[in-house]
Amino acid sequence: MADTVVYRRRTVVSALMMVFALGLGCAGYLLVGLNQNGALPADWVTALAAWVVLGGVAWGVVRWRLPYADPLLLPLVFLLNGLGLSMIYRLDQADRLASANLQMMWLGASVVVFCGVVVLLRDHRVLQRYTYLWFLAGFLLLLTPLVPGLGKESHGARIWIRLGSFSFQPAEIAKIVLSIAFASYLVEKRDVLATAGRRFLGIDFPRARDLGPIGVVWVFSLIILVFEKDLGTTLLFFGLFVAMLYVATERPSWAILGVVMVGALGVVGYSMFDHVQTRFSSWLNPFTDYDKNLQVISAQFGFAWGGLFGTGWGLGRPYLTPLSKNDFIGAALGEELGLFGLCAVVMLFGIIVARVLRAALGSNEPFGKLLATGLAFAFALQVFVITGGITRLLPLTGLTTPFVSQGGSSLISNYIMLALMLAITHQVRRPQAEAPAGEFASLSAEATQAIPAIRAAAPEPRADTPRPDPAAFGATQPVGMDDPTVPHPIASPDPRSREEDLT
Amino acid sequence: MMSELLVFALKFAFLALLWVFILFTGAVIRSDLFGRRVPATKGEAPEKKPRASARTRRRVQEASAAIPTTLRITRGKQAGLTMALGDQLKIGRSADCQLILDDDYVSTQHARIYRSGTGYIVDDLGSTNGTYLNNERLSGPTRFTPADTLRIGRTLITVEA
Repeated sequence: MADTVVYRRRTVVSALMMVFALGLGCAGYLLVGLNQNGALPADWVTALAAWVVLGGVAWGVVRWRLPYADPLLLPLVFLLNGLGLSMIYRLDQADRLASANLQMMWLGASVVVFCGVVVLLRDHRVLQRYTYLWFLAGFLLLLTPLVPGLGKESHGARIWIRLGSFSFQPAEIAKIVLSIAFASYLVEKRDVLATAGRRFLGIDFPRARDLGPIGVVWVFSLIILVFEKDLGTTLLFFGLFVAMLYVATERPSWAILGVVMVGALGVVGYSMFDHVQTRFSSWLNPFTDYDKNLQVISAQFGFAWGGLFGTGWGLGRPYLTPLSKNDFIGAALGEELGLFGLCAVVMLFGIIVARVLRAALGSNEPFGKLLATGLAFAFALQVFVITGGITRLLPLTGLTTPFVSQGGSSLISNYIMLALMLAITHQVRRPQAEAPAGEFASLSAEATQAIPAIRAAAPEPRADTPRPDPAAFGATQPVGMDDPTVPHPIASPDPRSREEDLT
Repeated sequence: MMSELLVFALKFAFLALLWVFILFTGAVIRSDLFGRRVPATKGEAPEKKPRASARTRRRVQEASAAIPTTLRITRGKQAGLTMALGDQLKIGRSADCQLILDDDYVSTQHARIYRSGTGYIVDDLGSTNGTYLNNERLSGPTRFTPADTLRIGRTLITVEA
């Protein structure tokens, strides 16, 4: 008997995990107060109520609109966010600022935007229609900081725009917009990109007219980012593009070429720009110049002081590291939670990436597959680059730790990204039989049919017409077709076909 | 003020809970891997084997006798798609086919299904990868009944009465 495997909604599991995550966030916050002053923070009731309400609202909206979405993504994100908020609150105690309050407000705004995206965008495939508009939007977003009067320079990088009393980093949003644009463009053109073209040095190069539009946008984005002196985002865009090209065309040569190009660009950057040289010297020999490399050195001392289990919430001195609320929040966590705590944080990021890549594997349409892969890869690369930077595995490039660092634009864009990921997982995990004969069913039928066709609401097995089991056929099945979410169309094994097999 | 011991205990309790969360996540992922099994034929009670096979055999005979009216793609990229069977139907990748399959292993003009008397006949149009009826490669026009499954490339097609 052929059984089909469907994903469960797992509402209870996700609720429990959400409560656990919110609880751990609360515990971190309360421990800071207890460890520092021996008493709970002054307004802990309102702070925790706001935190739990925000988490509850986000969870409720996801369960309402995307019931089959991955049950783990939202709790994982809220746990990371809780750890980040607690650490920002803890650092507030040292510098007497109210960054945690501000970050809490940004979280509120992020949850509103997140809920908006989840409610409006149940099916990520509508995004595929506006390829060139996405390109244009991403490009303009990247350009905005260079506009005089609107752009603002801070910490030596011109990546901010001023909106009233707030400042915003448009590159964060551009990252998502260009991921969507790359994904929809590559889905459209991947066949010609992979097959048509010239072979040079063992690598198949696509024709200029196929690679042209995306290549132009990408090169210009990189040039803009280099002008804005935003090394981290440059690296992120480069990696995102190469990874998506590799996934879309299935040519390993792109990955190899990408790594070679990173090396070449690194050498060029090293010989041309002073700030790149500084980064390299503070990576390899930080202790030669204490004044210049204070940040990196201080982070290393913090890790050493934290040891395996850390000093405990509020009991270390992570505030000695400059920018400890943004780029170096990982170092602060490593100092107060120790190696075990930092590894747990890295693990949480790893699980998020693994879940999204799993959804990409399970997806049976190319756009969702490519978009999920791109988003997961960009996310993983960002965590790798910044965590590698603060632990001196890599030269330091300024990037935020997603969901953990202080910064409104990063938080909002990461929550938009989370909404996209959840929408994709919902589409992947949803039982296919439930698919309504809606817009996309008729669209797909139109594209392939010259005469009117009706799409079946459910490929339900017909008990009265048994047929040979296709599993017995020698057909090689592509990956997508063995998707367990698709109910097996043919149920009953046919004795006749067995007999034929025997003869 | 808190005692040193309590601070110490809370520090380890927090770290332990953090890892317990990760272990729970692992457990959820593990159980998610297998999903929930539902029998593909809902509501059909399990029956004894000989009776079931006798019943199926009768059904097969009945099904072979009926004149098909619709074609259904049961497996492949366009699975679930149905269309009415006319007098003649050409299957392939080119635009002049009535059933255009989005499948890399399908030839431009792959096969045709046409009506003849009381049933339908399927015939290969010189395709590269062949047309298979019940896992046997077609060598000439063959009857296509509701009991048969047609394989073209990676797509499985059946007809229904």
